Amino acid sequence: MIDDRCRYSVLVASLLAGVMLLACSRSPETENKPPETANQPAQPGPAPAPAPKVWSLASAAAPYRGVALRTIGESLPPLEAMAKLTEKFEKSTGIEVTIEMYEHSEAVNKVMLDLNSRRGRYDFILQPHRELGRFVTNKHVLPLDRFMNDAKLRDPSFKPGEQLYQKQWKEISWYDGNVYGFPFTALTMYLWYRVDLLEDPQERAGFAAKYGREMAVPTTWQQYSDLAAWFYRPDKKFYGTAIQGKRHEALWYEWLNVLYSFGGDMLDIETGSECGPVVVNSPEAIEALEYYKGLMKYSPPDTRNYFWDDLMALMQQGKVFQVLMWNDATYAVEDAKQSKVAGKLGFAVTPQGKGGKVGQVEGWTYLIPAYSKHPEAAYLFIQWMMAFEQQLEQHLNGGASSRPDVYADPKVSEISYSQASMDTMAVARPKPTIPESPQLTEILVRELSIALAGKKTPKQALDTAAREMSQLLGSCAPLKYPVQ
Amino acid sequence: MTRAWRGAALAAIVVVLVVGLTPYLWMFATSFKTRLDTLSDVPIWTFQPTLEHYPEVFLDKEYLPLLWNSVAIALGTTLLSLFVGVPAAYVFARYQFRAKEDLFFFFLTTRMAPSISIVVPMYLLFNYFGLIDTKFAVVLAHTTFNLSLVVWMMRGFFADIPVEIDEAAQLDGHSRAGAFARVLLPLAGPGIAATAVLCFILSWNEFLYVFILASFESRTLTVGIPGLVTPHGTLWGQVAAVAVVATLPILIFAALVQKHLVRGLTFGAVKG
Amino acid sequence: MKKPKSIGAALATAVWDRGVGVAFLVPGLILLTVILVGPFMTTIGLSFTDLSYALPDRDGNFVGFDNYRRLMRDDPVFWQSVITTLQFVAVAVAVEFVLGFAVALLLSAHIRRRRVVLTLFLVPMMLAPVAVGLIWKLMLQGDFGMLTHYLRTVGLLGEQTAVFSDPDLALAAVILIDIWQWTPFVTLVMLAGLLSLPREPYEAAIMDGAGRFRIFRDITVPLLRPVIALVLLLRGIDAFKEFDKIYILTGGGPGTATELLSVYTWRVNFRDWDLGYGAVCAFMVYLVVLILSAACHTAMTYARGASGNEGRRG
Repeated sequence: MIDDRCRYSVLVASLLAGVMLLACSRSPETENKPPETANQPAQPGPAPAPAPKVWSLASAAAPYRGVALRTIGESLPPLEAMAKLTEKFEKSTGIEVTIEMYEHSEAVNKVMLDLNSRRGRYDFILQPHRELGRFVTNKHVLPLDRFMNDAKLRDPSFKPGEQLYQKQWKEISWYDGNVYGFPFTALTMYLWYRVDLLEDPQERAGFAAKYGREMAVPTTWQQYSDLAAWFYRPDKKFYGTAIQGKRHEALWYEWLNVLYSFGGDMLDIETGSECGPVVVNSPEAIEALEYYKGLMKYSPPDTRNYFWDDLMALMQQGKVFQVLMWNDATYAVEDAKQSKVAGKLGFAVTPQGKGGKVGQVEGWTYLIPAYSKHPEAAYLFIQWMMAFEQQLEQHLNGGASSRPDVYADPKVSEISYSQASMDTMAVARPKPTIPESPQLTEILVRELSIALAGKKTPKQALDTAAREMSQLLGSCAPLKYPVQ
Repeated sequence: MTRAWRGAALAAIVVVLVVGLTPYLWMFATSFKTRLDTLSDVPIWTFQPTLEHYPEVFLDKEYLPLLWNSVAIALGTTLLSLFVGVPAAYVFARYQFRAKEDLFFFFLTTRMAPSISIVVPMYLLFNYFGLIDTKFAVVLAHTTFNLSLVVWMMRGFFADIPVEIDEAAQLDGHSRAGAFARVLLPLAGPGIAATAVLCFILSWNEFLYVFILASFESRTLTVGIPGLVTPHGTLWGQVAAVAVVATLPILIFAALVQKHLVRGLTFGAVKG
Repeated sequence: MKKPKSIGAALATAVWDRGVGVAFLVPGLILLTVILVGPFMTTIGLSFTDLSYALPDRDGNFVGFDNYRRLMRDDPVFWQSVITTLQFVAVAVAVEFVLGFAVALLLSAHIRRRRVVLTLFLVPMMLAPVAVGLIWKLMLQGDFGMLTHYLRTVGLLGEQTAVFSDPDLALAAVILIDIWQWTPFVTLVMLAGLLSLPREPYEAAIMDGAGRFRIFRDITVPLLRPVIALVLLLRGIDAFKEFDKIYILTGGGPGTATELLSVYTWRVNFRDWDLGYGAVCAFMVYLVVLILSAACHTAMTYARGASGNEGRRG
């Protein structure tokens, strides 16, 4: 009696549940109705109100008073600075802004889950730009033109076409010729080195005697590794350099600097939204990886377990002579409260190789999800954040603005690392932002990490990476260099 | 037993205890160390303790709500699992029916289910029902393993109660359900308490389901810890402070139910 | 209601009893079915689709056995992680068992205030795995780690080596950490098993003049066989599912040195968002666990019989 009933109920219920789940797992995909129409009714104002003669935030925001916006980003100083600024915005508009702060990869994961569930939890999001392709091709984010062309929303004093670094903006927030956002932070990496040691007479004399030239800020990779070798003093727990060798995105970012300046690249493309031949196993790339791996011998023993977090700690404690690090992190190493070496550092563009002077740019961008419940209010907030005063405030608190006028401000130009940051930005190279690019990163990080661990030669590792990348991208990305 | 043997055995036990406890004590100490002391090249054993990390992380960084979330979720799943599981365990202990062992095996597999295999479809399911981001979603997810724990443990506790007691209760005029509620449940009280504590611990320590299913506002402490690894250096003092708060209550609970731990962890197959 | 007075009433009670049984059992079954069996079926369903959250036009179209073919033919990383997982499980569980059993023997024979010792001894196992990961990250950190420092001082670790930077050491380290955490579990269960053994065979053996080792080999081990099997299987299943600690400690690196199956499954699902293929990996993990669980169930049935729990009263 009971046994049979139970058995059937288990069977039937499990089947039902399974079928139902399958259905529900797919239904959001197939529904996939254009989200724009869903958002239309949110446009308030039944009568075509004449556009006000003088635009003001308060009047533009009046229809959205009482709205609560929610956003998500990486828990870093620029976001903390933004959190402080929101109060001002709330006061003048009555629009509340709630910010969720997560660790880097968690912030990306949460957004992926939210966008794909189409719940619209976030009214706008802050994401690294390598994710952009995924969002655009899956129609998860709204193009911004309709807000930018809306007289009711557009602040006439905000002219992104003139007020932002154009190249950067295009790289970080555009895809396939359409604009989807504005840069939240424009990140780049450059050289951090210890000025005090570089200028130390005793060191200079010793170095000159050994290398037959004066010690100077390295501009070539040879000079970079010479300096690393010279300052490598493991017995004193001081190291020439440190690389971010952990199996983590940080490794990829750092290696890109070397790769680009050695004249290599991942794909043979002009802009980030293109697909093209895989060149990651070019002779230049192999050379770059060999060189990069060679830096390990001047690094601390745990270097294959480091990412940006560890490099920062090492620099702050004065244990390393030079590293390649991020512009948005620089303020923390120049902060005497946290750092033993504040004021003793110099900053410069990454050393160059055959590829000339290049930098890699990475940005976090404001985006508005297609499922946003209050896209207009979100746009007003983003636009407000992009204005000079807010950008300056954010930049001074560890941000990385993409407005040239912020860098021209005396408070900014006197910062020790502003010049290096601007110089690098000027030579920044785009990187792939196609939907597959995060997966390309995963593949490369894995193979780079294997090469550093010595389980494969640089050529073997990059050949594997190239083959997998080409396989993933399909016909648009043939191998340019043969693999074994 | 010779004296020497005894001495060697004692020494071995002491070594095992030292190895077992030192890492935890080190973490505990770290939560009271300044950043400089933590990062020192030579391990520092005596230091001027600082209390700064606790208020920093729980008040300034607002981790206090995470503690309440941990408590709420663990309590929720414990109550749900007991409410549904205890009667089922009673049926397993007292009724005879044909597919009993098969069903029992089914419960076992649910306890074993690897969360990594289930979490994606579970996300899809909860999303479909609009439960994502709620504490209730996590409570349900944790019930997948806690419910079967209850069934397995409580079956043993009910089996320990002589059948004669049921019969006596029924002779006194209680119905079967009445006998269960008025006579057996009070007798199984200590067992229920032990089971409840174990459920609480398992839920409290769980990571992956919360990681994927919980929102910013419903995160628990275990999931909050990785958030303290920032590009500006891991805040070891704060990490340690959170870890201490996330583990101390559990250690106390575990000590309380130690007697029943074996039974809980072996699904009632072995008794403590 | 008093004693049943008639056959009709007795019948009514019997039916009523059955009803109570069903009512008690069914809510649990429904709950588990909806929140567990449903997702499990979905995993299987998904594994036949191309669903991807990352790539356009991969909306969950049916692709037959493509994902399984990919797993079999061109995913060396998956198979590498299978090997790593097997190494991890085999070494960790074996060492845990030997150590844990030894400590249990010591405790059962020599220690009087067992409860206190045991309580302290169980600490590692009750900690959240995430906390365990962080504790050991702190201990083994390459620059200021406490253990790193002492290992270097005594020369067990090279000055220019760090545990989680070295592909071979990293796997050994995560295994050791697992041993640190879970040896107490083996001790706990084996101790319970030891204490529940009957006295008579021992008395008889001592009368026969058997040595201590022979008693252990010929009496203790055979009697404990079901408990041993159970411990090994329970630990095996848990070690096979290990995720939290590795995620915190190494994330699978350096290279793929510590990439267990669960970590790889995580990566496919939550980094590549290739949910169709990820479902195949997830299903494989589940399948192994199911098989081990079946073995475990058998062991349990024997263990219950051996320690005389079933049917013991009061």
